[in-house]
Amino acid sequence: MFLTRFQINPARRGARKVLSSPQAMHAAVRAAFAAPEDYEREGTRTLWRLDAPTPATVHLYLLSPGKPDLTHLVEQAGWPTTETWVTRDYDSLLSSLDAGQDWAFRLTANPSHNGRKTADAKETQRFGYLREQEQVAWLANRVARHGFTLITQRDGLPNLRLHHRQTQTFKRGMAQVTLTTVTYDGILQISDANAFRQALTRGIGHAKAYGCGLITLARAG
Amino acid sequence: MSVLLLRLAGPMQSWGSSSRFSRRNTDVAPTKSGVIGLLAAARGIRRTEPLTELLGLQFGVRLDQPGQILRDFHTARSLDGRQSAPLTYRYYLSDAAFLAAVSGDENMLYGLAEALHRPKFPLYLGRRSCPPAGPISLGVHDGTIDDALTSWPWLAAEWYRRRASREVRLEIIRDVRPGEPVTETMHDVPVSFDPAHRQHTWRSVLRRHVDVTNDVAERAGVTEHDPLSLLGG
Repeated sequence: MFLTRFQINPARRGARKVLSSPQAMHAAVRAAFAAPEDYEREGTRTLWRLDAPTPATVHLYLLSPGKPDLTHLVEQAGWPTTETWVTRDYDSLLSSLDAGQDWAFRLTANPSHNGRKTADAKETQRFGYLREQEQVAWLANRVARHGFTLITQRDGLPNLRLHHRQTQTFKRGMAQVTLTTVTYDGILQISDANAFRQALTRGIGHAKAYGCGLITLARAG
Repeated sequence: MSVLLLRLAGPMQSWGSSSRFSRRNTDVAPTKSGVIGLLAAARGIRRTEPLTELLGLQFGVRLDQPGQILRDFHTARSLDGRQSAPLTYRYYLSDAAFLAAVSGDENMLYGLAEALHRPKFPLYLGRRSCPPAGPISLGVHDGTIDDALTSWPWLAAEWYRRRASREVRLEIIRDVRPGEPVTETMHDVPVSFDPAHRQHTWRSVLRRHVDVTNDVAERAGVTEHDPLSLLGG
């Protein structure tokens, strides 16, 4: 696996396109891989996320089975003469993970549930969770199966901060997609290293093509 | 030297120093004329009466929680709907909190603090539609405006402090003391609030900063999340 960071130049027209539509960014990410197995391999897939460490900088993080080539993105939405992208090997980090370790993490996800719009509706459909406590509960309900727990603070609440809670709408062909996303920042503790490795490489929750589900780690504290 | 400290916080505030006609702006910090007007209202001084005793006050303000600019597109019609008033844009600061300090004669400051607790006229933050949240007066304290504005605890709301970073830099805007270099002038010193002949004049102001540590900031390493640093940058 490889983790890649690409800095988007928001002043460019191409950047506006990929930043405004996860569908367009998904296409750009898909186009970064010549061989299909670099994009999707048995048990792993490509995950991506947009991060804005300061209001003026936007980073695209990309976790993929093979090395990506982002030349097309650099040309349309980057700095072709000075900045390209950084790709680092991810396997050494994955193999160093062990139960009991604490990590700071960031996850942008699509907390949602299935239901019927009305009691007598024929089809079920997916609804995003909009309230903060529902979004926290959504994550809390699935951390165990992904091999980690959320560290508890002194006040008894999980060490978790939610930001960039938003509902986006964008076009997919002629149809309109509505997507609720939220970014979780917090500290986690690994309880089952294998399950956790799977969560890192396969992602959590729905809408993984649309920039959701990628967990990235940083040193805690 | 004594200072009277004021907490200016509320759902909306509006501090105009340059508004004319159909566009009613707000400054990002309380104006001297706005605060002197508030003190005059507490005292029960009518708009047509002279402001003599309040004009000698020194004034400074700290931007504890800057708030957000809110624009109100304002339409109004007469009761029968036939005539419309000019369309105006009115600007407000929503969810802002400021610490203001006025210094002057000690007895007068105690009188003003007392008047703020028992105001003769209703008090508001720059505009009649902006009532303050909670008591305005924080009492009279020893020291200069600078001491008070640098040492008084941060007034921002709990939710705001939690989201802020661990080190916060607050801006202070205060009257220039004699001998200091002038950085800026503002047109917000009231001469008369008389509705028939409102008059303001200029003052020189100095901007500086004070750094406060934020104890309730959410953990370090949360806002700066750099996953590549684990993998060698």
